[in-house]
Amino acid sequence: MSVTPEELAAFADGELDPVRHAEIGRAVEADPDLARDVTAHRALRARLAAHYAPILDQPVPESLNAPLRCKDKVFSLTEHRKSRAVKRSVIPRWKWVAGPALAACLVLALIPLGSSPKDYAGQQIATALDDQLVATQPADAPVRVLLSFRDRSGAFCRAFTTAEQGGIACKDAQGWRLMEHLAGSTVQTEKYRQAGSVSDQLMARAQEVADGPALDATEEERAMAIRWKSSPSP
Amino acid sequence: MKGRETLSNRFEDGVLALLPRLRRFASGLSRDPVDGDDLCQITIERALSRRESYEPGTRLDSWMYRIMRNLWIDEQRARQRRSQTFVSEEAGVAIGASGGQDAAVELNDVDRAMASLPDEQREAVLLVMVEGYSYREAAEIVGCPVGTLNSRLVRGRNALLAKLGETA
Repeated sequence: MSVTPEELAAFADGELDPVRHAEIGRAVEADPDLARDVTAHRALRARLAAHYAPILDQPVPESLNAPLRCKDKVFSLTEHRKSRAVKRSVIPRWKWVAGPALAACLVLALIPLGSSPKDYAGQQIATALDDQLVATQPADAPVRVLLSFRDRSGAFCRAFTTAEQGGIACKDAQGWRLMEHLAGSTVQTEKYRQAGSVSDQLMARAQEVADGPALDATEEERAMAIRWKSSPSP
Repeated sequence: MKGRETLSNRFEDGVLALLPRLRRFASGLSRDPVDGDDLCQITIERALSRRESYEPGTRLDSWMYRIMRNLWIDEQRARQRRSQTFVSEEAGVAIGASGGQDAAVELNDVDRAMASLPDEQREAVLLVMVEGYSYREAAEIVGCPVGTLNSRLVRGRNALLAKLGETA
């Protein structure tokens, strides 16, 4: 039986289908030259693997790790800021985002209007947005509402934070649509408590999209009374 | 827009976990650990800028290797164009390696034998014999038919065996 060099290599690598593998296995057993070649192939593989293995145990240079720790998330944020900065003045509180002291990986994903229903707040957040008032909510509420406002279409919007995330949601006919979503793998850690920063970002963002000032306690109560349904702006 | 994907760090974590292997492949491709880390660097940057084209659930390692490999090939082509007018850098490396004394990096037998292989054979050898990919997976990374990968691999191996001795 003739065995091509390609087949012999594939045999040594275990790449043949079972039938052909068995055929060549018999040929190799019967032919010392083939057996020697198979041994050489396998020894070469082992030698190459051993030669390149030590690099796996070397520490990875920080220059390679660093770009993967946070930044690309921040890219989208800063790029977004840049595109807006032309039209609007920069709110100073955002500046820390681009600064070197960024300790946690915060993500601002701009969720587009008119996308899937998954872009609505889940039950727990929606309930809090429906029922909690900034003035009266418990200090340790799992979902904390930061403020309420109306956007330019007149819809009621509310900024909120939880232990892991934060966002801005605006009420429409279907529910609380998430307009902004901030999440961080380390929103809160022992050393760097980032929740405050998340709030700052959301507040700043709210100022950008709000049409007018945040609702005061009385206005919030009124809005809750009409289930946050937008009515023509006064 | 896939804004929601940026809500998780899984992509970055996946790439971070792959870094030791990516460095190994890059070092083998470029024949030098320092050049290899440069190749890693631009591979990571490219991956981050193209993350939308990565389909979650598919193999991130193959996707990253493909990016690295294509960047490397592009770089080689650019070098070849330059070397048409200037002294070949490849020739310089070969002379330095055989001349020995003033080579910045000590090359051992395996490094020298690998460096002598054409790029397409070296990458086939690296993907299958070092990185442990199947022929089919390696062919997908390279973007060639499995048969082509197989024959490049055999030619590369035979050249290595000839240089390193039958007993390897």
